[in-house]
Amino acid sequence: MPITLEINGSEIVAEAGLTILDVAQRSGIHIPTLCHVNGKNSDVPCGLCVVEVAGQEKFSRSCMTVAIDGMQITTDSKELTQHRQDRLAVISSTHFGDCKAPCNLTCPGQLNVQGYIAHVAKGEYAEAVRLIMERNPFPFSVGRVCPRFCETRCRRLLVDEPVSINHLKRFVADWCMANHVDLKIKREKLTGKRIAVIGGGPGGLTGAYYLAQKGHNVTIFEANPKLGGMLRYGIPDYKIPRHVLDYETNLIMRMGISVRLNQKWGVDFNLQDLKDQGYDATLLATGAGVDQKLDVPGCHLPRVHHAAQYLRDIAVGTKHEFGQTAAVVGGNNIAMECARSLLRQGVANVTVIFHRAQEEMPANQRVIREATKEGIQFILMASPVQVSDDNGKMKLDLVRMRLGEPNERGTRHPEAIPNSSTSITVDTVVSSLGQMACDGSFQGGELENGLAISPKNTIKASPRDFLTSVNGVYAVGDCVSGTRTVIQTVVSARKAANNIHSFVTGEAKDPADDRFNFTRGKSFEKVSMSNFDGIAIKLREKMPTRPPEIAVQDFDEVKLGFSEQMAKNEADRCLSCGCTAFDRCDLKKLDIDLKVNINKTGMGLKPVYVKDESHPVISVDLNKCVYCMRCVHSCDYDALELTQKGIDKNFMATGISLKFKDNCVNCGNCVDHCSTGALNKKTSIVPLNYEKMQEIRSTCPYCGAGCQLLLKVKGDTLMEVSSEDHLAPNYGALCVKGRFAHNFVQSKERLTKPLVRRHGQLVETTWENAFNVIAKNFFDIKSMYGADAIAGFSCARASNEENYLMQKFMRTAIGTNNIDHCARL
Amino acid sequence: MTNSIADTKFTDLFLMIGSNPDTSHPTIGLRIHQAVERGAKLIVVDPRKTRLATDADEWVRIQPGTDVAFLNGLMHIIIKEELWDKKFVAERTEDFDDVVKLVEKYTPEYVEEITTIPAEQLYTVARMYAAEGRHAIFHGMGITHYVTGTDRVKSIANLAMLCGKMGVEGGGCNPLRGQNNVQGACDMGALFNTLPGYAGLEGSDMFERYEKAWKTKLPRRPGKPATEVWENIFNGSIRGLYIFGEDPAVADPNIAHVQSGLEKCDFVVVQDLFLTETAKYADVVLPGASFAEKDGTFTNTERRVQRIRKAVNPPGEARPDWQIFRDLSNKMGYELRYESAEDVFEEIRSLLPQYKGISYARLEEVGLQWPVPTEDHPGTSVLHTESFTRGKGLFIPEEYIPPVEPTDAEYPMYFTTGRDLARYNFSSMTGKTAEIAEISPEAFAEVNPVDAERLGIKELDWLKLTSRRGTVKLRANITDRSQVGTIFTTYNHLDALVNFLTLDALDRLSRSPEYKLCAIKVEVV
Repeated sequence: MPITLEINGSEIVAEAGLTILDVAQRSGIHIPTLCHVNGKNSDVPCGLCVVEVAGQEKFSRSCMTVAIDGMQITTDSKELTQHRQDRLAVISSTHFGDCKAPCNLTCPGQLNVQGYIAHVAKGEYAEAVRLIMERNPFPFSVGRVCPRFCETRCRRLLVDEPVSINHLKRFVADWCMANHVDLKIKREKLTGKRIAVIGGGPGGLTGAYYLAQKGHNVTIFEANPKLGGMLRYGIPDYKIPRHVLDYETNLIMRMGISVRLNQKWGVDFNLQDLKDQGYDATLLATGAGVDQKLDVPGCHLPRVHHAAQYLRDIAVGTKHEFGQTAAVVGGNNIAMECARSLLRQGVANVTVIFHRAQEEMPANQRVIREATKEGIQFILMASPVQVSDDNGKMKLDLVRMRLGEPNERGTRHPEAIPNSSTSITVDTVVSSLGQMACDGSFQGGELENGLAISPKNTIKASPRDFLTSVNGVYAVGDCVSGTRTVIQTVVSARKAANNIHSFVTGEAKDPADDRFNFTRGKSFEKVSMSNFDGIAIKLREKMPTRPPEIAVQDFDEVKLGFSEQMAKNEADRCLSCGCTAFDRCDLKKLDIDLKVNINKTGMGLKPVYVKDESHPVISVDLNKCVYCMRCVHSCDYDALELTQKGIDKNFMATGISLKFKDNCVNCGNCVDHCSTGALNKKTSIVPLNYEKMQEIRSTCPYCGAGCQLLLKVKGDTLMEVSSEDHLAPNYGALCVKGRFAHNFVQSKERLTKPLVRRHGQLVETTWENAFNVIAKNFFDIKSMYGADAIAGFSCARASNEENYLMQKFMRTAIGTNNIDHCARL
Repeated sequence: MTNSIADTKFTDLFLMIGSNPDTSHPTIGLRIHQAVERGAKLIVVDPRKTRLATDADEWVRIQPGTDVAFLNGLMHIIIKEELWDKKFVAERTEDFDDVVKLVEKYTPEYVEEITTIPAEQLYTVARMYAAEGRHAIFHGMGITHYVTGTDRVKSIANLAMLCGKMGVEGGGCNPLRGQNNVQGACDMGALFNTLPGYAGLEGSDMFERYEKAWKTKLPRRPGKPATEVWENIFNGSIRGLYIFGEDPAVADPNIAHVQSGLEKCDFVVVQDLFLTETAKYADVVLPGASFAEKDGTFTNTERRVQRIRKAVNPPGEARPDWQIFRDLSNKMGYELRYESAEDVFEEIRSLLPQYKGISYARLEEVGLQWPVPTEDHPGTSVLHTESFTRGKGLFIPEEYIPPVEPTDAEYPMYFTTGRDLARYNFSSMTGKTAEIAEISPEAFAEVNPVDAERLGIKELDWLKLTSRRGTVKLRANITDRSQVGTIFTTYNHLDALVNFLTLDALDRLSRSPEYKLCAIKVEVV
């Protein structure tokens, strides 16, 4: 007899004898639960599945309460939510681990750093590049010039030294270039929307790349004869060689982006023109290429250069006479590159002049060290006051500086020391005092006039959606922020692309990554050193670098890149902080859904359990275990023993222990059912954070049982295999082969080209030639000995379609019934 | 399988013979264990003490190679005790008398002599199987990999028909097919004696239908089975070989013979994922695509046609194999026009009655079990419910024939093989996952403690096993899983190629070799 009951006001007819949870699940009504699986609950129940039953004073656990005819049930209320939040807070309070690795959290681009390092460790270099390019289309350039925010937070620092993350990024990019890898990155369906991007530097190219990927028709308008922007015209060859940058920009353009070169905004076209031509939106990414001028008497003398212009002259090959000595005024990254370039142009002595101490220079300290090694000298705490001609040389008068009294915010600004003047005499002065987007305004027309400009001569754009004061016109990168790092520009452009996509299509924006995060310690001080027990010191690989005295003689690249072995060694140093169960963790999902603030309510602070790697395919980290017992209850073989020593006052298990019994068949079903990252597949070391993964149904290629598989695919890599509980013939069950033995797909030993025997050796050949050789030999044998002198073995591991075609080929094209396969073998 | 894997939920009694699904078909083994837990009875006929054997109500430790005698012995008792299903035999079968006549001499005492199975156990097993209920027979390569393989399969069918266990949910005769798509490869006519859909080469309507559909005259001369190719290379009648996805240089019996055949053959093409041992003998090697890199269908052991789907690109210039056949055929002047694997499937279903109602669209969610005669047919989970394919079920009784290579003074031990759970065939695929190697690092020669004592073998001693054909070195694992007088090993490790030992004598009908039994001598080295 079916029963009728009411859930959340809706009448539901159900089979008698089911629990409320079963009835709700079958009716598509969501009741949160952490421990319920296969009709069983934890010995220490999660207590999340509680509901209100009319007439009952207390909440009822829906997994335990049998639904009765006429019941009135509420699954959601303020009180229930409060109860669930409280319970989740308790469960979360002992969960110890990092959701995301600190490197990932620190990267302005939120790159899945741990993920691409893991790909390197597995030798999946192309997949590493694809993962990087999901968030940063400039792995070559950023891999060479990034200041490496990530490495400052690398936990390996607490053991020895941080992982050389950025060198790995560069390695995989260079490897793909050297091996002519076609990354085969997919583009979505065309939308018919047209988007103009002004500026073909890192910001413009990034915006164009992600917009084109979304299927939009994108055109870049670039003022220069080549793409690359600051990467080409502002960063010298010895940091990013031209052929590398060409390769990188070509790679980006292959997404299907149009470009119009030598088109200067405000001269050759204006914003109104773009509107008239039917562009649905415009992205401004013109960078900050206008030099802040040195404003002292004599600054107009011919041998006073300005940084951006100077670097551009190098890039386009404009020659100047620089003499033997030069001074560079300014302490930013560009100043360092100017100084180093001057050395390479034959200037013997280059001095950087800066008005504060070295530690306070805006340039990256690593870049300053590199410059110092090459022989750059520094006059610190000094500022130019005048330039004058001194018999064909330049006399630079300086005033010495000191730090003034702290202002109301505690900052000490430098001030001139009275009567402290000094001077140096040089052949050339290069001033690098910063760059602006424009000189007060943009020219071109009505719309340009309406473009709001900040006092710092940058474009005003909303930090939230990158929209400027002109509707449909967005702006990103240095033209908004002033000079920043490439990765910061890339991030803003990627986010702007997301906003523009939403603007032109009306679709919702891709959600930003949730900031929810369990952490083993936000700062180094908070991280317990017991995390690193047993980790041996292994120092980082040193980047092979040309000796400075040789390097300064030309513009060839200074850093030579990791070898494959170095990359592998370095990748193996990664401590894999982030959770590889990130994409499947139910605890995190419930915490987020129910808005539990673990930063307030607490999480585990230090490891209680030692990680157990003794199982051949499963690693166990009980610090993440919430004792839901889903591993035990999902095991078809009763091969797990999960125990606890006691239950504390919060109703949480303590002293947990997990053992795999001798009858474990290594099928891994428990891992797929684990509610957190306590159980992990050893083969799955690439965490998937908020990146999209495809799930594709297939059939196991091993035995005749024909188990249905769910292939989890990212880019061009089979990441993981699981199964679906509701599908015949295996209903979720798999053996160790079905779940784990799929590395052969990506094996380096795979045949990738046809081979033909020449002088006794098998050598690579083209398909065309291979087919010709086969056809000729089969024809010859046929004409000499008849068709029955040829026999074919088909394949019981291949598909029906292929077996059908193989026998059809043998019976028609060859003309024999000599076709068989291993059915009898 | 006449029945389905899911039928195990209804089965009252399992008779497992020559099959160890715990390692060969693990997810099916799981369902059998679950059925036993729920209370189903289990009879295991196996010389080895497998996990199923230890869980069995009756474990019949048979002498390897004597299954026909055992099966005839059961039928002898069942007939003598009048336990057979008279209604089923009368209505659904013919030539029952032939069975009665033949099994007459297989008295329990006679059978005990051959099989070493105690007569009382024969009575118990016969009565259990013949009793009322849904009783399923499962068998594997332990039945078929003998020169008498077809005799055994027929004897199994005789037993099931005799007791009326066919055509019912939870019953039937259920061969567990080895490879993922061995069923499909047979269905597709990758066989020397039948066209797709098991159409014969003699003057059938189907033959003409294929000639019409393929727009060419087809050869009627029967072809050579794979197992006979090698001798035909040696006698000069086969000169060219096209080997797709198989590795006979390690997988066939008596591989020393196979390897010299490959060496001798004038022109060899190998199409595979890896440079296999066989590919090393090839003149041309073509890189194919793995299951994750192409679209298509596999047909599993329960006749379920299921999809594979392209998930990633093949590496480098490797191509989906269906494209290779198409392009090579075009190159050789027989034009094939397929744009997709689905185009090929559409042609298959237009020709094969069993596949007629199956389309890719219907396979989207879950596979279908053939025969599927129409597009609204739900598929067939149990065969022969109303009648057999030929109408009445024909009893074909067979006499017991002893193994080809009995033990003797020089080769005093029997040698048999089976699968390792974590590995598949010769590990060309499973071997690429490091964790698999950790689970199963090597193959061991399993020696019964009695033999070990007698031969002075200690645990992990290196043993040299020698048959009339070759030698293999393995370390010893002393265990009562192996029967006295028999050494067992798994055949999945490339560094222990047991097929140097195995016997290439062939079944007279199926041309399957006697993989499962040969005589060897054992030395400690």
